[in-house]
Amino acid sequence: MSADSSEPNPVGTASDGQFGRLRERLTGDAGREQPDTALVVLAAAVATAVLSPVVWLGWRASRLGIGEAIRLAASDTAVDVLANSLVLVGVVTAASVALGVPLAVVTVQTDLPFRRLWTVLAALPLVVPSYIGAFAYVSAFGPSGVLPDLLTQYGLGFVTPYLPTVYGLGGTALVLTLFTYPYVFLTTRASLLSFDTTQLEAARTLNHSYPRAFRRVILPQIAPGVTAGALLVALYTLSDFGTPAIMRYDVFTRVIYVELNAFGQSRATLLSLQLLAVTAVILALESRVSADTSSGYGSPASASPVVSLGRFRWVVTLLPAGVSLFTLAFPVGILTMWLVRSGPGYSGGGLAFEPAFALNSAYAAALAAGVTVLFALPVALYAGRSNSLLARAVERSTYIGYAMPGVVLGLALVFFASQWLTQAVGVGVARAVYQSLPLLVFAYVVRFLPQAVGATRSSVAGIDRDLVGAARLLGETPSGAFRRVTLPLISPGLLAGAALVFLTTMKELDTTLILHPTGFTTIVTYIWRVQEAGYYGRAALPALVLVAVSGLSMVPLLKGSDDA
Amino acid sequence: MTDDAGNDRMADNTNMTHDDDTTTGRRTYRRRKVLAGLGAAGIAGLAGCGSNGENATAEPSSDGGTATETSGSEAVDEAFIEEFRGSGALAQNRDIGGTSIAELPNLSGDLTIYLGGGEGGLYRDLIARFENIYPDFSAQIRASGTADAANTLINEGPATPADVFWSVDAGSLAAVAQRGLTATLPSAVTEPVPLEFHPEDLWVGIAGRARSVPYNTDVLTAEEVPEKVMEFPNADALSGPMGWAPTYGAFQAFVTAMRVLSGEQATREWLNGMQESNVTQYSNEFLVSNAVADGALDAGFANHYYALRVKAARPNAPIDLAFTSDDAGALINAAGAEVMQASQNKQLGFTFIRHLLSAEAQEFFATRTYAYPMVPGVPPVGGLPTIDELNPPSFDLTKLSNLEPTLRLMRETGVL
Repeated sequence: MSADSSEPNPVGTASDGQFGRLRERLTGDAGREQPDTALVVLAAAVATAVLSPVVWLGWRASRLGIGEAIRLAASDTAVDVLANSLVLVGVVTAASVALGVPLAVVTVQTDLPFRRLWTVLAALPLVVPSYIGAFAYVSAFGPSGVLPDLLTQYGLGFVTPYLPTVYGLGGTALVLTLFTYPYVFLTTRASLLSFDTTQLEAARTLNHSYPRAFRRVILPQIAPGVTAGALLVALYTLSDFGTPAIMRYDVFTRVIYVELNAFGQSRATLLSLQLLAVTAVILALESRVSADTSSGYGSPASASPVVSLGRFRWVVTLLPAGVSLFTLAFPVGILTMWLVRSGPGYSGGGLAFEPAFALNSAYAAALAAGVTVLFALPVALYAGRSNSLLARAVERSTYIGYAMPGVVLGLALVFFASQWLTQAVGVGVARAVYQSLPLLVFAYVVRFLPQAVGATRSSVAGIDRDLVGAARLLGETPSGAFRRVTLPLISPGLLAGAALVFLTTMKELDTTLILHPTGFTTIVTYIWRVQEAGYYGRAALPALVLVAVSGLSMVPLLKGSDDA
Repeated sequence: MTDDAGNDRMADNTNMTHDDDTTTGRRTYRRRKVLAGLGAAGIAGLAGCGSNGENATAEPSSDGGTATETSGSEAVDEAFIEEFRGSGALAQNRDIGGTSIAELPNLSGDLTIYLGGGEGGLYRDLIARFENIYPDFSAQIRASGTADAANTLINEGPATPADVFWSVDAGSLAAVAQRGLTATLPSAVTEPVPLEFHPEDLWVGIAGRARSVPYNTDVLTAEEVPEKVMEFPNADALSGPMGWAPTYGAFQAFVTAMRVLSGEQATREWLNGMQESNVTQYSNEFLVSNAVADGALDAGFANHYYALRVKAARPNAPIDLAFTSDDAGALINAAGAEVMQASQNKQLGFTFIRHLLSAEAQEFFATRTYAYPMVPGVPPVGGLPTIDELNPPSFDLTKLSNLEPTLRLMRETGVL
């Protein structure tokens, strides 16, 4: 994730001289253009493994029959779900742009008071998992929330039925916007920072007002950045399960989850493929946009403010302050209030939080981190050493985790393990795999492999390969050279990747919910259970813990954006 | 649950019949007509015991109450049962019979339980109590909606990790049993329960939940509520604001029952009729009952226990229950349990269900969830009519699993 500032490795492109040829003779086929066969096989195996769920899903769908598929895809429910999803994505994306771009402009280009503080605060909502945000809002404005309570206390209970509901499109869009607009904010901010302000000055000398200059000079140049952020928001909105589930709005993820629970297999499978198709469209758009953004030139960027707000300085401050109120102060305040207030309901062990849940979370996350790094290592080494088509295909295929919503992955693995294995292999095997910890860990690996590969790959790219050659010349075996030279050099990247996977796994909702072994309660499944039962007070502490965990996992991202 | 309780359990309690408690504690249930008013006249009812807190024991047992004869003489260790009993006026002065946990075989080993519903965590609470009593017993729980859990079990088939399915809806239990996925329960398990709640011994009822009409006692009397639910749309007494919760499973089960008993066309007319007569939608039936107590509604549709929960929180609230007669409005659904045929651990599953039917667990359901106990020795709380006094329709609960046509009907009429 964090972009390394390392130079592209010159070795292997230009400096091939005597030394290189000597090494090739000494090491046989282990030259840098042809990595170890074992490495290639390992990397390809990893790619196959993580691709297998989506391939399996496609194969299942292909056996449905065209007629059945069309009937299901054209059914009222399916059309509604598609429409709902697209509306939600549209609203959230537009609202995020409306929120993120002005925030970026005022924090980069104006003399806003406390600019650095507002910059950090505007990016910070990313650390609140959106389902925690949804939980906070429902526990405040929902039917058994704080607001109806207060109204009843002051004798206004009869008003409650007439209040607008927190559920549905409105609430879902509100919460998703509040907690995903920072994607737009961050990418826009990066574009603005790399924007050459002398152009703005030129426009101003041509007597353009700032708004006009903004429209004619700035906007065209930051548009790719804004678009990239907007597409990230769209992607997140499409794949998010927790928020629409809590806010009861029927989009792909929620309906797939419902169908999955009801084992409506063909419908769930088809909806999953539709969701993947919509996701693919957004990803295709995104890859085109991000290819464009690299074409920046001009004089070095300036981060100094260019617009003086004058006496409006404090008025404009209301924007970031107001946003932070709803994204940070309010949810944390509500959770803290629930924490302090003694929880309602029944005493007893049924819904009490147990430290074992946190241990389970940490245990599963540690396993996921370890296995993910093991999987990432061959892929990163291979992709870092070879530019062949196969190497790029292998690396790309591990990015499936970014494109595959957790609900879809969970669905594929549940049907695979419970039904297909029973029929194809036998009940004994199915019982061993279905709802097992290894299956859950495998799902985490598929989801979060890109993070580990990204972190490891940048450190692989930073290795001077002559060092490995030197070790070989000095008599090390290939594995000895790997152990004594390569591994120590890439271990920071490996550790960073493992830490990132660990933290992201801790807060992963959908796959955990669907695939956890029966009786294996984690922080996340516990939060889900008590919020479904309406015991908001009991969810407060674990939710705050997750916000903290999530905050740690965002450090590289936020730091990276700060460096930009 | 403490160690003390565990020790108490071990104590020999067969001779611990508390005669003095028995006389004060025994309660009487008057006939349905009066009780349907549930204290409307200030006697023997919930409102009575709630409002002044003195009359919780109702009348002495002079006329030989019908449903409270304890089966056999084994009264249950009071100190132990207190651990299971709820608190508040509704849970006071109770006399309990039935088989105590102490008389049952020990629970030992791992049991995987699929929960359908679960009373907002109360079922987990009860399981945790069992785990505390038996250090060797450990339950793995997977909870979801009733229909979801049933579908999961049906699709997992023989690969299911579940040993026991415990659900708040008999339709879901029957749906799984119909597929031949459950084991026949031994008579030792089903014997304490009336036959209609273990029709083929493939599942057994654990606690009952009756459909009811909560009404505001400032506006209505029990007599004004029609005997037949089909008359509601045109009843003058019910022309005021009414409430229902159409997204709620229990309400949908009620509509399913109406569809089966009265036919699709009559149900459609009823749904349309109710909508034309000032009915407000709520998201669950607790809120309906709460709104009745607030005076926002004159009456509504809800499971019986929600009104008791309102009462437990607000003893003076002007809310009471009426029951219709021999129609969908008087349906009694059962929470129950079954043991999976694929389970490697059936004996433990059977013993577990016997624990759910123990006097202590039944007292737990009666006083904490305000459900109808399934064991004759344990009375329902707070002057509720006994199951015998209600007049439910004769209805095969298995049919509740056919929900799809109900949802379609509710969507077509714009109720959903």
